Amino acid sequence: MDLEKIKKAVVEMNENATRELVNLALKEKVEPRQILEKGLIAGMKEVGRLFSCQEYFVPEVLLASETFYAGFDIINPMLKLQKIPPKSKVVIGVVEGDIHDIGKNIVKVMAEASGHQVIDLGDNVPVSKFIETVEKEKPDVLALSSLMTTTMMQMEVVIKQLEAKNLRKKVKVIVGGAPVNQDFANKINADGYGKDAAEAVNLIEKLARG
Amino acid sequence: MDKINAVLKRERKLAVFPIVGADHCARLLNIDFSEVATDGKKLARVLEYGYQLYKYDMVLVFSDPYVEAQALGCEIEFKPYPSLVTAKTNKRFDRTSVIIEAAGILKKKVDVPIFVSIKGPFSLASFLVGIDKFLKILLKDENEAKQAIDEALEFQLRYLEELLSLNVNIFLGDPVASASVISPNTFQKYAYKPLQILINKIKAKGLIAGIHICGETKPLVNILDTLTADILSIEDITPKTKTIKMGGVSTQTILHGTKAKIRAEAQIALEQAPIILATSCDVPPETSSENIKELIKYGQK
Repeated sequence: MDLEKIKKAVVEMNENATRELVNLALKEKVEPRQILEKGLIAGMKEVGRLFSCQEYFVPEVLLASETFYAGFDIINPMLKLQKIPPKSKVVIGVVEGDIHDIGKNIVKVMAEASGHQVIDLGDNVPVSKFIETVEKEKPDVLALSSLMTTTMMQMEVVIKQLEAKNLRKKVKVIVGGAPVNQDFANKINADGYGKDAAEAVNLIEKLARG
Repeated sequence: MDKINAVLKRERKLAVFPIVGADHCARLLNIDFSEVATDGKKLARVLEYGYQLYKYDMVLVFSDPYVEAQALGCEIEFKPYPSLVTAKTNKRFDRTSVIIEAAGILKKKVDVPIFVSIKGPFSLASFLVGIDKFLKILLKDENEAKQAIDEALEFQLRYLEELLSLNVNIFLGDPVASASVISPNTFQKYAYKPLQILINKIKAKGLIAGIHICGETKPLVNILDTLTADILSIEDITPKTKTIKMGGVSTQTILHGTKAKIRAEAQIALEQAPIILATSCDVPPETSSENIKELIKYGQK
């Protein structure tokens, strides 16, 4: 089975073809890990590249993500049995007052596709929820997203609360979203800023390695 | 002639308007934003306060991006600023009358051009359908996407009719149509025509039509330029356009930047003159008055 075909189906956002090809690969006794890495993840990496160079935009990435999961859901039970440890643990969410979660969802899927465990708190997440989850889950990275000028200051509130609870040094914090930039990240004492999903995942990889 | 019209006629190099909306003004007056967003008199009062405090060259009647979406059935929540909770439901709550009342009051009280911000039909349709779903159906179900955009356009045409009868100018905000979200091809296919229809209607009344799109706009600029709006309010003002541009100072700079940085960005923006010197998006509510005044001082030199 040529796993390039699965990669191509993900890039072309073809859910049915992806399901059929993943099932076919399993039938041919291809290792689920191989299907994931050389087919599905390779496809999402190409999608990320196309997104970074503005050949793909958010609608294309959303459909490609759905396609990725169509294949991933088939092999995930088998991967769980193999107990492969994730590269890092990431908690992600859109700050309180903001429900624009597209960017967050794209980072989530790209991070998962790159082998990170992602705990998704969703949108409109209160500061206390971020703090509780960091305390409980002890993630390597906390990723905060905001799309509005009225909500981006919530990111600073989260970081200040982490400091107040003595959690700040235990987790790397990255920020992203339309009104945010590197200056803003520096100003609020974040560890990094990702201008798009591909950059955010690179940051996660870098920061998780310590 | 006022400064905005003088810039549009290319008889003046510079006018200035940091994009100050009701959220910043309500914060200055310590008024709960939900009161301002639901009461035309209070909305007019806070916006008039902002104008009297800063004396910029236009006033924008802007409460929040969800006025029309809520009128069509989307549910919103004030926390303290509005956010969209659901796509379209049967629970309609029409705040367009709040905007219309505020615009009418300000028109009588303020001696600079009044603009009202309304949503581009593409973005409004995305709120009605739910943004994620809407973006997917752009590629999966063209008819469903176009139907939602048609519904949004039909509503906006009626709303626009009422606003134009007040003789106010219009800014069409279309944030979801940004190239941070969709491709230029998708913009051309879905967002362009409804904007064109609204712009033509505004200009036919002899009023000013502006477009505001934040985020990545460079790949769209040439297309936006052909819409023949009067003003393009965009994040990156460096590309050459026939349309007068508005912008120059990033929202981050107005929020956190030093006065020197504000002046430096304004200075670079002047290379694009004639221009309306502005922030690239609406000023965050927490922005200091000193920074806003610095931008205005520079723009009124």
